[in-house]
Amino acid sequence: MASNNAVAVSAFIEGAPPGELADVVTDIKALTEDDPTLLEKARPAFQKYNEEQLTTVKLPGGGGKKNVLISSYNSLGEGRYYDVESQSSFAFDHAAQVRARPCDAVRWAKLMRGAGGGQKASDVQSHTLESEHGDLISSLSKTLTTHAHEHYPSSTSAVFPVATTASLAILLVSNKYSPSNFWNGRLRTTYLYHPATTALTGTLKCDVHYYEDGNVRLLTTKTLPPTTISPSASEIMKTIAKVEKGWQEELNRGFSRLSEGEFKSLRRQLPVTRQKVEWEKVTSYRAGKEIGGGRR
Amino acid sequence: MSTDGQFDSALDLLRRLPPSSTSANLTRICALAPDLTEELLSSVDQPLEVRRCKKTGRDYLLCDYNRDGDSWRSPWSNEFEPAIEGEDEGAKPSERVRKLEMGMGEAVDIYRELYYEGGVSSVYFWDLDDGFAGVVLLKKTTPTGKSDGGWDSIHVFESIDRARTSHYKLTSTVILRLSTSSDALGDMDLSGNMTRQIEQDMPVTDDSSHIVNVGKLVEDMELKMRNLLQEVYFGKAKDVVGDLRSIPPLTEANREKATHQEMINSMKR
Repeated sequence: MASNNAVAVSAFIEGAPPGELADVVTDIKALTEDDPTLLEKARPAFQKYNEEQLTTVKLPGGGGKKNVLISSYNSLGEGRYYDVESQSSFAFDHAAQVRARPCDAVRWAKLMRGAGGGQKASDVQSHTLESEHGDLISSLSKTLTTHAHEHYPSSTSAVFPVATTASLAILLVSNKYSPSNFWNGRLRTTYLYHPATTALTGTLKCDVHYYEDGNVRLLTTKTLPPTTISPSASEIMKTIAKVEKGWQEELNRGFSRLSEGEFKSLRRQLPVTRQKVEWEKVTSYRAGKEIGGGRR
Repeated sequence: MSTDGQFDSALDLLRRLPPSSTSANLTRICALAPDLTEELLSSVDQPLEVRRCKKTGRDYLLCDYNRDGDSWRSPWSNEFEPAIEGEDEGAKPSERVRKLEMGMGEAVDIYRELYYEGGVSSVYFWDLDDGFAGVVLLKKTTPTGKSDGGWDSIHVFESIDRARTSHYKLTSTVILRLSTSSDALGDMDLSGNMTRQIEQDMPVTDDSSHIVNVGKLVEDMELKMRNLLQEVYFGKAKDVVGDLRSIPPLTEANREKATHQEMINSMKR
């Protein structure tokens, strides 16, 4: 039973919409006040959430303006992550929200909604990247930044070597939060380029939440099948740009398809007659008259 | 011990977590805070289940309002399925309200055919001290294929007797699930629920007036909600995606914006 409840708490964290993790945690705290250890036990779920959602954090120093992202690809273990561009590593406290007292919750929620997530990295140390693909990483980072500026109004991106699979992870996250208008959105792209086989794979995920007098969620996942591209940053980025454009145009067609197709066939706007129902006529019920049950 | 605060937190949580997992998350919350179970089951709308009436062979919908323990009352036979053992037969409406329930059920069946051209509908009424209350349920799913869809309407109302009029209070929820997939698109799931309320006084001459009044309220509400869903699902959600990623290059868009601004400025001069 208790272990089921720990699983439940982890599932709630995993399902948190973009920019609403702090709100979800506040709710979980209220529901688990009898057993605060449940949230403590869900610590791995916070790490999983932050790494999968490419949570962005502000790197101290340099005016505190630099955003870096959290992923499994730049994890050094023990809650430390690194950034290629600034050649530094930093600590990130996944469980900061677990410890925040309820009175901090509002402040937390505000911080989380700020541009770039507002969560802070700490204990910054210098970190020199050692990779045989150093040149490709640096040119990919540059072209990725240019690509991001062309298509993403507000995004954080990075390129990391992945030792275990001898590939390069090309990551981008774009967030837009508007809680005062009851909507939040996130788009994530994760590509893996394998220099030895020159194969590019990847996923594009979009998550939009609208919650004024309701709860509407758009969740999309597109997987890019392995595509062969020569190991040139500009060629790789050209392919990525083409894939993303094609996907987004297809998504817009998806909206039209559902609107014109399923939505219309579920319920008509008006009956075929273009007239509203004449309720006085459709009921055979009259005061004092017995109606039989069963079929008409 | 559960509190009002916990109930509000449970509702807030369900308003944030993926609507396609509402049923699973409801079960999880009830396990965490068992005291909230009854209150949550009667306040949280879930996709309706369909069952076939053993006596009449007609389909009916299950909800908390025709449930007694593990049995549900068929609106067509007025009997609980499976039958409730023992002296307690399960709550049924009074003779007068049952007659109204059957009349409304018949009218909604015609309404369903006109607007949904298929699907299943059910109506359940119950007695109140100063009037009666009820729920009008409609459900339709489209055949499973490359694209999929499901619509559930849940209209809960109260009718309070006044002199020559009735005061109606209607709370309506529509649960709309849509999904589509293709190689180029991948998987797309657009699902959710929206709730709206309305209160209105309407004239009553005899009991048949209630059927006309509730019917009109439900029809107007569904029209309003269908428009709202269209706006949110295909307008708002699509706009947010456009805010996250721009198909045309932003430098181009910004240049156009700058040119436009320059034109406005020059006209001002």
